[in-house]
Amino acid sequence: MFKRLMQLLNREQKSKSVAKSRLQLILVQDRTGIDEEIMESLQAELTEVLSKYFILEREQVEVELEREQDSMALVASIPVLGTKVRHPIEV
Amino acid sequence: MGKVIVVTSGKGGVGKSTSTANLGTALAVLGKKVVVVDADVGLRNLDVIMGLESRVVYTSMDVLEGVCELEQALVKDRRTKDLYLLAASQRNNKSDIQPEQMKKLCLELKETHDYVLVDSPAGIEQGFQNAAAGADEALIVTTPEVAAVRDADRIIGLLQNMTISNLHLVINRLAPEMVKAGDMMEPTDVIDILSINLIGVIPEDKEILISTNRGMPSTYNHKSDAGHAYKRIAQRLEGKDVPIPEFKAGGLFGNWFGKLFNS
Repeated sequence: MFKRLMQLLNREQKSKSVAKSRLQLILVQDRTGIDEEIMESLQAELTEVLSKYFILEREQVEVELEREQDSMALVASIPVLGTKVRHPIEV
Repeated sequence: MGKVIVVTSGKGGVGKSTSTANLGTALAVLGKKVVVVDADVGLRNLDVIMGLESRVVYTSMDVLEGVCELEQALVKDRRTKDLYLLAASQRNNKSDIQPEQMKKLCLELKETHDYVLVDSPAGIEQGFQNAAAGADEALIVTTPEVAAVRDADRIIGLLQNMTISNLHLVINRLAPEMVKAGDMMEPTDVIDILSINLIGVIPEDKEILISTNRGMPSTYNHKSDAGHAYKRIAQRLEGKDVPIPEFKAGGLFGNWFGKLFNS
């Protein structure tokens, strides 16, 4: 998200590069049927689960679908400040 | 037995009918027996682009309804040997034709022609489904614009689901000076995104409008860069190894093979 914002703010960038990166994002959504809203709820739930085990820097969590050569990858950046568990969690 | 190629794009106005008319003409000039089929029922225009509108008597609908024989509905283009047009009905509705009927029609046509080029309507609904129903291969026409490439991606997905595996991309209306300025995606950018085989690049060319005004496909016009680009695609469809030249700003071909093939 941050990367994308920087790209949009960068006036030096040629419009063709903006077109290409916008298309790449749009097509990930078109191909998977996953939109921004679903990604946000996925991110919230992931953060919730991970918080049981780790102390996270919640505002910095980023989860994105990225397109690689012929496939797609779910890329997450989750800054960890510390761990919460020393013993297995009781369910 | 010939082959059926659907010419499609998803988005309207990117040059499907122009591409169908020019490639059909170029293939016929190469000595192939060609029929171009307008599958845009209700909004036909291939007849106008080909300059054959005044000679259309019967349409594909008449054939399907048994009003006439298939042979009778084929309009012969008098300028080139073995080039025919099968027009679409102007009065009926797209949903009046079923994919099965279209498939049968294409099968019959490819028995007697080397190439059956089907000009698909825009969109992904019934009209597109009909146009693609009998296709062995597909030409996807796009322009280097966000909306057109997005729709092309959608169409590629649909064609792959229909198990049409031989897909070729045509990038239309490339403006070399805009590419040079960094304001238009290059063919390599579009290929990166769509990951299908590129069969040709058509440069932006004012001659296209002039040709359409006259009802004379640009393939006949030796001054037209677009016309030459279509002729190269026809050769590639015929299995010839003709390189795609690099288009340089100023309308000149930048490299030696470009000059060679433009002469």
